[in-house]
Amino acid sequence: MPSSHTEPRTGGPAGRAGGVIHDIGYRPYAGPRGGHGAIARSLYLTGVRNVFGLGRSGKSKILPFALLALNVLPAVIIVGVVTFIGLSSLPLAYPEYAATTTILLGTFAAAQGPILFSRDLRHGTISLYLARPLSATAYALARWGALATGIFAFVMAPILVMYLGALLAQMDAGEQTTDFLAATLVSLLLAGMLASVSGLFSAIALRRGFAVVGTIGTILFGYGVVAVIQGISLEQDQERVGEIAGLFHPMTLYAGLVNVLTDADNAITPPTGAAMEVLYVVVSVLLALGGLGLLLLRYRRLATR
Amino acid sequence: MATLHPVDRAADRRSGVPAIATQGLTKDYGSVLALDSLDVTVGTGVTGLVGANGAGKSTLIKILLGLLDPTAGSAQVLGHDIATEGAEIRARVGYMPEHECLPPDVSASDFVVHMAQMSGLPHAAARERAADVLRHVGLAEERYRPMGGYSTGMKQRAKLAQALAHDPRLVLLDEPTNGLDPASRDDMLELVRRIGHDFGIAVLVTSHLLGELERVSDHVVVLDGGRLLRASATTDFLDTTGTLLVEVLGGATERDLLGRALHDAGFPSRPRGNVVAVEPPAPGDTRNVHDMIRDTAVDLGLGLVRIQPDHHRIEDIFREEVAGAVQPH
Ligand SMILES: Nc1ncnc2c1ncn2[C@@H]1O[C@H](COP(=O)(O)OP(=O)(O)OP(=O)(O)O)[C@@H](O)[C@H]1O
Ligand SMILES: [Mg+2]
Repeated sequence: MPSSHTEPRTGGPAGRAGGVIHDIGYRPYAGPRGGHGAIARSLYLTGVRNVFGLGRSGKSKILPFALLALNVLPAVIIVGVVTFIGLSSLPLAYPEYAATTTILLGTFAAAQGPILFSRDLRHGTISLYLARPLSATAYALARWGALATGIFAFVMAPILVMYLGALLAQMDAGEQTTDFLAATLVSLLLAGMLASVSGLFSAIALRRGFAVVGTIGTILFGYGVVAVIQGISLEQDQERVGEIAGLFHPMTLYAGLVNVLTDADNAITPPTGAAMEVLYVVVSVLLALGGLGLLLLRYRRLATR
Repeated sequence: MATLHPVDRAADRRSGVPAIATQGLTKDYGSVLALDSLDVTVGTGVTGLVGANGAGKSTLIKILLGLLDPTAGSAQVLGHDIATEGAEIRARVGYMPEHECLPPDVSASDFVVHMAQMSGLPHAAARERAADVLRHVGLAEERYRPMGGYSTGMKQRAKLAQALAHDPRLVLLDEPTNGLDPASRDDMLELVRRIGHDFGIAVLVTSHLLGELERVSDHVVVLDGGRLLRASATTDFLDTTGTLLVEVLGGATERDLLGRALHDAGFPSRPRGNVVAVEPPAPGDTRNVHDMIRDTAVDLGLGLVRIQPDHHRIEDIFREEVAGAVQPH
């Protein structure tokens, strides 16, 4: 009781040597404590692991790894065929790969965004984060970075498989490396755009289902709408309409970027003219950063009510 | 990269700054005045923050953590100003919210490690701390299972463990006994007492049950409608009233025999349960009450079991003041 309240910590483990051995009592922590940078890095790394279900329950790993396997499988087959037949070039350019597996990519981004954003909001864990040194905006930035990294890894895994296969098949290493690096650049922009779309939906919709439906709807359905508009404008010799429509969706922006920044091309109505090409790059960066900005704003408002 | 100053407990302790101090702290939600010009000081040990639903307990805690901005007034936590040094405060304080806050698909072990890292501890140190605090709160093998499957008692323990993960100087525990059965409630209160007294971490613990904090708190702060109703050391409440409680062998007959004899001797006495409550003699009466009771019992041939001083209970004191604002159990 208070009257007999003596200095409780002076004992320490040594001072309590006379006590029971298995109860070593409370041990204060005197070691180092990292600053905001170290904390943010730790949050980011945990987030990257969580995107793939690591550090979470066993069944959380099923979906991300099943999608990843499906995403990499065609690349493995391509490499097998290329080395077996002995082709001199890959049948599919690196950056075209993501466009052909949009459904897998969209599902991955939609399903894993809520893991990093909705989960903390829905279960109230966010108040534990806000009660620790990191600011709400630093939290959101680390989370967004983790999601973008996860998506980037998902996009790049099959491309890496194809690249290694191409080198193994003795294709021109310099040419392949240049193409591979160009693919890396456009994949980074794609991952940033998808992380912003998925992250925003997940930070607004607390229920995972709403966030998933919102993101999948935007990425897959929205893609279909824009692609149809581009197809019609191509038929009608009104390519400009298609080029402008392409600015309104991450996947058609990506197709345009591939056209502008790499040797490959799979856009229906690729941007023509320097101004339109620059516009595609600028809008892509704006979509990624603008979405991130809105996310940061949302979390700043959460923190100061 | 900037490294925060290591938390220097010895300096914190020496400096003698209060764990919490508020001056005119006010929070106006617009529709509700949740805190009304509150002045309180909280020191080391365990401080109970008591008030009915809506008294402003959680609002005060959130303002101290910098999760809410006050409308007016100021406050310092461990000597740091809430307006300008929020990050420093949050590095040194542990928080157990009243609401759910645990991700269901993560194990308590992984979660507490992560939360320790969120306070800057390196991974290896975080793992060691997590194992330690989970042992202290009494989570055994279940610590490796996802927390979604935990009972309310286990969830409360996990919530407490994450609040202790980084070895804070002060913990703010918002209704830690909420939803617990009587046995788990006693365990939790015992833990709270150990944190404040054996671990040397200052504790602010809230409850709307006055009675349950009486046993573990050194101080009690009572809030009513956002205003400070009373702040006192628990010992003040436990001061003796001067009344003595006397128990003799036998039943009601023996009890009343003694009671009447003492009453006739000039000591106002009333039966209370199976004992006799003997009030102190009038001022100026120099007789020794203990001797009188013993002699009277001997004269009557009664077996004296014990004589003990009567204590106030917090609830008795607050019952009138609070006038129903605080539920006494
Ligand atoms: N965000 C908010 N907006 C408006 N009013 C609020 C808000 N949060 C709390 N209040 C009001 O402020 C008052 C104090 O609330 P608070 O949660 O601090 O009380 P409490 O003492 O913690 O109650 P309880 O025992 O129910 O947890 C209540 O009347 C509550 O309705
Ligand atoms: Mg409350």
